[in-house]
Amino acid sequence: MAETKLVKLKIDDREVEVPAGTLVIEATRRLGVEVPSFCYYPGLTLQAACRMCLVEVEKMPKQQTACTLVATEGMVVHTSSDAVRASRKMMLEFLLSNHPLDCPVCDKGGECELQDMVFRYGADTSRFTEEKIHRPEEKWSDIVYYDSPRCILCYRCVRVCDEGMDVKALGVGMRGAHSIIIPNREDHLECEECGMCIDICPVGALTSGTYRYKTRPWEMQYVSTICTHCSNGCKTTLSVRNHEILRANNRDLSGINKDFLCVKGRFGFDFTQHPERLKQPLLRQGDKLLPVSWEQAALAAAAKLHELRTAHGGEAIGFIGSNRTTNEENYLLQRLARATFGTNNVDHHRTADYTGLVTALGERAGEASLTMEDLYKSKAVLLIGNDATKQNPLVAWQIRAGIRHFNAKLFLINSEEIKLERKATQFIQVGRNQVAKAVRWLATGQGQLDAGVAEKLSTLKSALEAEGELAIVFGSELAGSSIADLVGFASKLPGKIRYMGLGDYANSRGAADMGLLPDRLPGYAYLDNKSVSDALAKHWGATVPTKPGMTAPEMIAAAQSGKLKALYVVGANPFAHFAKSGLGRGDLGFLVVHELFLTETARLADVVFPACSAYEKEGSVTNTAGEIQLLHKAAEVMGTRSDFDLLRILSHQLEKLGCGRAFHFKTPTAVFEEIRNTVPGYNVHPAGLLTGGAEPVKMQFSTNGHAPYDVPVELIRSANDNLFTSGTLGRFCTMMQSLPEAEAEAKP
Amino acid sequence: MELSPKLAAKFDHLQSAYPVKRSALIPMLMYGQDELGYVSDELIAEIGKRLDLNNVQIEETLAYYSMLHRQPIGKHHVQVCTNIACMLRGGTELLEHAKKRLEIGNKQVTKDGVFSLEEVECMGACTGAPAIQVNYDFYENVSTLKFDRLIEDLDKGKQPEPQGVISGALHERAKSETPLISKKWGIQDSHKIDVALQHGAYQALEKALKQMAPDSIIDEVKKSSLRGRGGAGFPTGMKWSFVPKDSPKPKYVICNADESEPGTCKDRPLMEMDPHQLIEGMIIAGRAINAHRGFIYIRGEYRYVLDIVDAAIAEAYKRGYLGKNILGSGFDFDLLIHTGAGAYECGEESALMESLEGKRGNPRIKPPFPAVVGLYGCPTIINNVETLSAVPSIILEGGEAYANRGTPKNGGTRLLCVAGHVNKPGIYEIPLGMNMQKFIDEVAGGIRGGKKLKAVIPGGSSCPVFKADEVDVAMDYDAVAKAGSMLGSGGMVVIDEDTCMVDMARRIMHFYAHESCGWCIPCREGTSWLQKMLDRFHAGLGRTEDIDLIGELSKNMLGRTFCPLGDAAAMPTISIVTKFRNEFEDHLQGRCAYKSAEALLSGR
Repeated sequence: MAETKLVKLKIDDREVEVPAGTLVIEATRRLGVEVPSFCYYPGLTLQAACRMCLVEVEKMPKQQTACTLVATEGMVVHTSSDAVRASRKMMLEFLLSNHPLDCPVCDKGGECELQDMVFRYGADTSRFTEEKIHRPEEKWSDIVYYDSPRCILCYRCVRVCDEGMDVKALGVGMRGAHSIIIPNREDHLECEECGMCIDICPVGALTSGTYRYKTRPWEMQYVSTICTHCSNGCKTTLSVRNHEILRANNRDLSGINKDFLCVKGRFGFDFTQHPERLKQPLLRQGDKLLPVSWEQAALAAAAKLHELRTAHGGEAIGFIGSNRTTNEENYLLQRLARATFGTNNVDHHRTADYTGLVTALGERAGEASLTMEDLYKSKAVLLIGNDATKQNPLVAWQIRAGIRHFNAKLFLINSEEIKLERKATQFIQVGRNQVAKAVRWLATGQGQLDAGVAEKLSTLKSALEAEGELAIVFGSELAGSSIADLVGFASKLPGKIRYMGLGDYANSRGAADMGLLPDRLPGYAYLDNKSVSDALAKHWGATVPTKPGMTAPEMIAAAQSGKLKALYVVGANPFAHFAKSGLGRGDLGFLVVHELFLTETARLADVVFPACSAYEKEGSVTNTAGEIQLLHKAAEVMGTRSDFDLLRILSHQLEKLGCGRAFHFKTPTAVFEEIRNTVPGYNVHPAGLLTGGAEPVKMQFSTNGHAPYDVPVELIRSANDNLFTSGTLGRFCTMMQSLPEAEAEAKP
Repeated sequence: MELSPKLAAKFDHLQSAYPVKRSALIPMLMYGQDELGYVSDELIAEIGKRLDLNNVQIEETLAYYSMLHRQPIGKHHVQVCTNIACMLRGGTELLEHAKKRLEIGNKQVTKDGVFSLEEVECMGACTGAPAIQVNYDFYENVSTLKFDRLIEDLDKGKQPEPQGVISGALHERAKSETPLISKKWGIQDSHKIDVALQHGAYQALEKALKQMAPDSIIDEVKKSSLRGRGGAGFPTGMKWSFVPKDSPKPKYVICNADESEPGTCKDRPLMEMDPHQLIEGMIIAGRAINAHRGFIYIRGEYRYVLDIVDAAIAEAYKRGYLGKNILGSGFDFDLLIHTGAGAYECGEESALMESLEGKRGNPRIKPPFPAVVGLYGCPTIINNVETLSAVPSIILEGGEAYANRGTPKNGGTRLLCVAGHVNKPGIYEIPLGMNMQKFIDEVAGGIRGGKKLKAVIPGGSSCPVFKADEVDVAMDYDAVAKAGSMLGSGGMVVIDEDTCMVDMARRIMHFYAHESCGWCIPCREGTSWLQKMLDRFHAGLGRTEDIDLIGELSKNMLGRTFCPLGDAAAMPTISIVTKFRNEFEDHLQGRCAYKSAEALLSGR
């Protein structure tokens, strides 16, 4: 890369050096000098509309907007002269002339940019004695309300909807002092309901239907954690009052997603307070599940599991983990299976073949991983399969931002027309279920494809060969040998190639990384990888079984047929996904479930433990890009316990019965310490995590002499969630489910 | 939706007429509205489909333009201008009369749907004030009697003859006039190509194409000292020379025919009586910067002028002056006329380009300037009708000869519209540098009814006013600037002693508040606040501190707005409140000593 030229300028008598092309407003921020602005918003197009950032520049006749002025060598800028202060004061006076002073009842009161600026720069009296322009408030959707008198017309909402989201649902209506923001369906919105417009609004013009009039901002506590819905790992800051979540946003722009959140991240938290939430352990008595004490439930579970293990051996017991529980919990679950029960019957609902990608990359797995930040900065992106806008909203946001800011190129292969097509350099539509075949064609030049597709693929190939670097992102359409095809093809391209596989839930990547897999140990190590299993054995005080276990669908089949005597399910609904319908739990002897709600699987259980959601506990999760981030406990739901606690309790009960060793971890952090020591790639520096950052996993993988890997057809199953669904949790997100767009999406 | 065959053909043409489809949006809305009477949901859907635009993109654009209506209007849409030139000659009273006659208020429709009434801003008929438009037809010098007869005729289904040539353009030439670009005015059918050719049309084009290199065209224009006639007075040749020669992008020439500065109505006769002169000027400009495509953006109100220019363009194509290989020179140039839809702001060059791209007419951030990044992001020169119309004369007689018609740095002749309280309102072509007092007395025939002069707005309502004792000034850009005002767009408004200057300030601010695009805070809120305050003040509810506040708020807008509209609103207001402070103080005593103001008050 060419070295960026620096220019030196003087701001308020202090010298600062910035890269050529830097805007003066950014240069002032480097010095910690505040130049106020409403319309300037980094990442969005420039407006110069609010005129708040007027500064004096020597040798220029008029005051200049710092948000559009490019810093040049020798420029002398004054940001706090009397004239500049006067400008700000009068600008605010103008702004307040039509702004209602209803701050005491405005949701934004206390966190309003206008309020803050008037406090700092405004006048203490008003000279406006005329009648203000008034319009009644409008309800645009269940979650977006617009109060035009409060609107200061900074156009952030319009821009974020258009440039950021590519939804273009907002516009500017009328003109002059009567200008307003208008929604796309005359009096209401029909959009992705992401709520970005509400969040980005500097004043109380756009307010949230779920938050409005509920509280004052200073009455709440703010907890930064990771969204529990899709696999992208957006940071969300939960606003909490009396242990209840009232709002989610990310105004400090601190996470990998900055201020981006989709409808799920921003509004999908009300499941925590859903009336059907399980709050007491349940124990089967006859055909009924009845509430019991924690002691009763824990004892019942431990005693029966111990009894069955003693009678039938560890291999008669299966463990199905979760896509949403923490790395620590997943790690403990597989340790429970492997160390305590001596079985590799441990799996989870796999929505992406992370195993396939790591295996195909082999020793290069660590260096070839693609973070969300890398994706944003990639000059070229190849997205294979997946409707990222709906299934992986942050991935789509990053791609769009890269196109906007760096002129990145986007290449698409998909069997459906998807929204990102609008931004694509090349879109190749292949027949149904032909995505893997197209990749095979790219790799080998072989295979039957629909007419014209091969030509387009060959154009694509030449285009990709011209790129200096390429980010490859793929959905569940590719698994096993198709991923090997992809890696085989891409390895021959000249540029630097990095990969991201797209899974579905908040910790699907973590579940795989932690070894919730019947044929792999933590870090995808083969069962016969002696150095890994020895290290694990040392920590666990038990030998690691080497015989491959059953996959999740196999376990369910074995459970129904009675081959499996007990099944232990944590935060998953395998009977809904994999079971032969009509058979129920079949001849399964014993079923334990950790759950938030009485799911299809929980209903069949003998013991149900009410579990915490991700918003109610600590731990770490790994997003689909392999970035580890920490959860922080925000809410509290009485009567629930984290899966970490539940597994600990169980391990102690089992130890008492002489079954395995209890988990002596006081906190999830202690488990993470063990993970850092035992899971290759997870030995990341904790400082970044502790300060709220994301640390990418650097996979250290060895093929260890194994043959190329493939997965059984149908083992990798996308949940095919859309913007408004989120597996079990989505069903209990009342607000989200009530949106007309959600209903429209649900229609086939 | 089902379109009439005519409209369907029009839409088909528009859809492919522009380098970027969206540009067809505003014309489609206008022509669609002409047929349907308003912009219906179905029309929006149809246009959206044709131009790949979503609802909100169309709604936000059309909401910006005052000529586009989302609700049905009357079969005869009566638009009464009350802006300053019309106001001074009874426009306000005419509006009140119209309300009574039609028994409807402003922006209302009669029950039978035959008539609707709208108070509108300057429609470019200042020398024929007071003026009205019924749909696109102009009627000028409208007395209440004339108005009633007109309504009667329309009611009976008769179509009264509209104003042909703008009132005040055709008159006996004053001795001090030096007709150059207006020399074909008055010749029978001068807008037709055969007549135009008989009088020298396209000779300059031939010379420019065959004898001159593009650079020497620019040099000649530089030598002519031609300065922009739209208002800012920027040297034209210099503007053209800013176009990067090595840019691989296409280049464009735009004619700004969005004439709408109150008091200004000179481009209208230039186009209606000599469209070929403008077309010729544009082709030469295209040659000079190596552009192959031009657009004439004409204000929506000038529909009949658009039709005349459009017919002239068709003639020029037929005769080989437009299109491929013009006059065998190998030079290609295409020209398209494009309708606006009612927005003063679109006269600002960058707002005009936004509008031409089918968007709201919000101005753009500068730099970059249009010469580098203009229409569709390509290098563009944009000049006023009068500026481009002067180009053929410059090429024919040479830059120096043209320059010598004016004063140093102020080359050539200038069309001046004079409206208000003069005996002979009209449009006159005079050499730059003529004395203003002399012009008012000798050319415009002095003040009407033997009254005394009170004030002059020298070049459109954006200019600071001169008091009667300040008009002994040479009318060139620099001299007028030195005297504290601007020559602007050549729309002079003369105000007599009976006029209330508070009312003038009030009406001027109404205009800018109505036309503010709303993009930036100081202009949007400042004009709105000042409008309310001046209304209140003029109605007799002023406070002593208001006088200073009016001045101060205006100064607070000055120099801080996104585009010059804020300055345009501030400058006349500051000058009126400073120079006529006594009239504001008089108002505080609960009296308005000025006749026309009393009439206004009693009319309320």
